[in-house]
Amino acid sequence: MKKMLSVVLTAALGCSLLSGCSGGGSTGGRAQQAAQGGSGDEAAGGAASADPSAYEVTEPITIQWWHALEDQYSQTVAEIVEGFNSSQDLITVEATYVGSYAQTNEALVAANAAGTGLPAVTVANTPYVAEYGAGGLTEDLTPYIQATGFEIDDFGKGMVDASSYDGKQVALPFLISTQIMYYNKDMADAEGITIPEKWDDMDAFLEKASVVNGGATERYGTIIPGWDQWYFETFYLNQGVKLINDDRVSTDLDSEAAVGLVNQFRGWVDKGYVNWTTMDSDASSNMRQAFIDGKAFSVIHTSSLYNTYVDKCDFEVGMAWLPGGDTKNQEIGGCVLLIPSKNDQATKNAAWQFLSYLCSKEVNMKWARETGYIPTRNSVLQTEEGKEFLKEKPAFQCIFDNLDLINPRIQHPGWNQLSTIWKNYMLEIMVEDVDIPSKLETMVEEINEVLEDA
Amino acid sequence: MEKKPFMKPRTVSAVKDFVCVLPALIFLAIFTYYPICRLIQISFTDWNLLNDRWNYVGLKNWIWLFNGSGTKHLLNSLKVTILYSIGELAITLVGGLIFALIFNRMNAAFSFMRAVVFVPKYVAMSSAAVVFLWILNTDNGILNYLITSLGLPAVDWLGNRNTALLSVLLLTGWRAVGYGMMIYLSAMIGISKDYYEAASLDGATAVQRFWKITIPMLSPTTLFLFVTTFISSMKVFQSVDILTKGGPYRSTEVFVYKIYLYAMEDFRMDRASVIAIAFFVLLLIITASTFKVSNSSVHYDS
Repeated sequence: MKKMLSVVLTAALGCSLLSGCSGGGSTGGRAQQAAQGGSGDEAAGGAASADPSAYEVTEPITIQWWHALEDQYSQTVAEIVEGFNSSQDLITVEATYVGSYAQTNEALVAANAAGTGLPAVTVANTPYVAEYGAGGLTEDLTPYIQATGFEIDDFGKGMVDASSYDGKQVALPFLISTQIMYYNKDMADAEGITIPEKWDDMDAFLEKASVVNGGATERYGTIIPGWDQWYFETFYLNQGVKLINDDRVSTDLDSEAAVGLVNQFRGWVDKGYVNWTTMDSDASSNMRQAFIDGKAFSVIHTSSLYNTYVDKCDFEVGMAWLPGGDTKNQEIGGCVLLIPSKNDQATKNAAWQFLSYLCSKEVNMKWARETGYIPTRNSVLQTEEGKEFLKEKPAFQCIFDNLDLINPRIQHPGWNQLSTIWKNYMLEIMVEDVDIPSKLETMVEEINEVLEDA
Repeated sequence: MEKKPFMKPRTVSAVKDFVCVLPALIFLAIFTYYPICRLIQISFTDWNLLNDRWNYVGLKNWIWLFNGSGTKHLLNSLKVTILYSIGELAITLVGGLIFALIFNRMNAAFSFMRAVVFVPKYVAMSSAAVVFLWILNTDNGILNYLITSLGLPAVDWLGNRNTALLSVLLLTGWRAVGYGMMIYLSAMIGISKDYYEAASLDGATAVQRFWKITIPMLSPTTLFLFVTTFISSMKVFQSVDILTKGGPYRSTEVFVYKIYLYAMEDFRMDRASVIAIAFFVLLLIITASTFKVSNSSVHYDS
C-alpha cells in the first residue's frame, strides 16, 4: 500500500508539474484573454474608438468603487456616492473602503493578476501610476475623454502629467495634495520666528525654533517624516540632485550636493533641532501629537491633513511652502482614479461615468471644502469660487501662489524599490553612528542595481 | 468450479485505503504541490506582478539571491528570522514549562488562572498588535510610563533596532506562552505518579525529581512544541507587518515579510519566488534535522 501511495503521489506531483509548466509565459488564460481584448464586449466597444455611443451605458449595472478614505471622510463619501446613484437610473455604485494606499495597491494587483474581483473604479496613490501604466493594469482613458468631451484641459498641467504614462491618460487627478510645512503660528508670532523660504535660511530658522537644554530637546524646530521619502525628496530635487539620472539606470544620490544634504540633516538631528521619524506604524500619529502638544514648532506633512491639524490644535496652524534651493518645486501627492483594463466594456463605460462625476468641478469642490485636498480645476482656482475657498481656508494661499510649481512624481518602474532602499538607509544614517559616505555608497550601488533591472 | 474473486482481498483493501486518501491527495496536489511547482517555474522568469507575460531568464534570479545584491538581504532576513525563532522558542518552551509547573494544581482558582494565561492565544493577532502599538508607544505608551515612573529613560521600543525585535517578541510571547503551558500541563498529567513515589522513597529531592523524571518524560512534548513552534515562528508575518513593517532599517525584516515586500510592494514576483523557495528548503532541512536528532534523545516510554 505504501508503495502504491508513493506511486500515486509521484504521479500527482508529475501532473501538477506538467500543468504548472504549461503556462508558457502567461499568468493565466482568462486574464490573458481579457487583457488582449478577447471578449465580445471589448470587440464591440473598441477602446480606441472616439464614437460616444461606444461608451454609453444601456443596461442597469452595479459597480464597485475602491477607495482609501478613512472614517473621518465616510460622511462625504456616502453623500457623493448617493448623489451619483440618485442622479441617474442605470448605474449603482457601491463604495468600499479597502484600507491604506498600500493595502489598496495590494488588493488591486492581486485581483489584476487573478483576473477576477476587480473594482470598476479605484483610487491609486500617485507613485503607482507609472508601474500600473507600464504593466497595462490601467485602461487608457484618452478615447473616453475624446468621445465624451471631458474637460481634461481644466486640470493643472502637473496633475494631468501625474496621471499619465507614456503619453496616455491612464488615470484622472482625484484627491491631490502636496508636501507642506505646518507651523505653530501663535508661537511664531510670539517668538518672532521667521519661516524659511530658502534652504540657506534653515540653519537660522532651526536654531530659533528649537528649544534644546543641556543636550535634551524640549521642542524640535521641525519633524521630518522618515517613513516616506516623498517628504524629503524635494529638498534634493531643489538642490539639483537627480534621483534618477537621464540614463534611467543610475541615481545621483551620492553626488556632492546629495552628500552635503545628508550631512546637514544629520547635523541638525545631532543638535536636537530636527526629529527624523521612524518608519513604524504609529510614526505619523506620534508626529502629529508632538506638534499638537507643542513639542515641535513645525512638521512637514501632506496638505491633505490641514483640516485634521486645525481641528486638533488649540493654536492657529500656519501652512508654508517648503524652503527651496535652486528651485522651489514640489510634487503631487494624494491619489488618482483609474479603471482596471481587465474589466468588460459595459463595466468600463459605467466606471467612466462615475469617474467623470467624481472628478467634476462641483464634486471636487466638495472634497476640497470638507477635507484638506487641493481644488484641482483651473476654472475654480481663478474665479470667485477660489476666492471663497481661500476665505474659508486662508492658509492655502501658499499653495495657490505656487500651483505651477507642483510637479508630477518621478515615473520609473523601479521607483518603489528605490524609495524603499533610500528611506531605510536615510533612517539608519540619521539614527545610528555610521560612516555616512560608505553607507551612501552601498545604498547607491543597491539602487543602481534595482534601476538597471527594473 | 469456484468463482475466482475479481481482486485479491489485500488488493481490495489497498484500493479502499487509497480511495479514502484520494480526496486529501487531490487537495494537496491543487493547493500545495501545484503552487510549489508554479513557484519554481516563476523563479526562472522575470515576472512582474503587474504584467501578464513573462520571459524565462535562466538562473538570473538565483544568481541575484546567492551571488548578487540579494545575498545581503537573504542573510539579513535569515539572521532576523532565526533570532526571532530562538526568542519565541525560549518563551514558549521555557515560559510554558514554568507556567505549567506553577499552575499544575487541579482546583477552581488555578483553573481560572490557567485560563487567564491561555486566553491571549484566542485574541486575533491583528487586534492584539494594535493594542501593543499603544502599550509600546514611545511618548504615550503605558510601558514607557512605568519605566519613566521608575526614573529610567523612555525607550523607543519600535523605532530602535535593538528593541524592535524584542517588542515583536513581547507580543508573540504574550500570545504563545499560554499555549506552551497547556500542552505541558496535559503531558504532566499523563506522567505516572509511580515514578515520583518511587523516587521519593529513594530520597530524591524535588529538584532531582524534576530533572530526572519530569524533564525526560516531557521530552516528546518538548519535541512536538519545538517543531511546531519553530516552524510557525519562522513564518511570522502579521505582528511584524502591524508593529514595525520590517523596520527600523530592516532590523525586523523576517523571511515572510521580505517575500511579501518583494511580491506586493515591488511587484517582483521573480525575486519573491527565489526567496520563497530558499525559505522552503531551509524549513525542510531544519525540520528533517530536528527529527533526526530527536530520535536519540526523546523518551516515548511513559
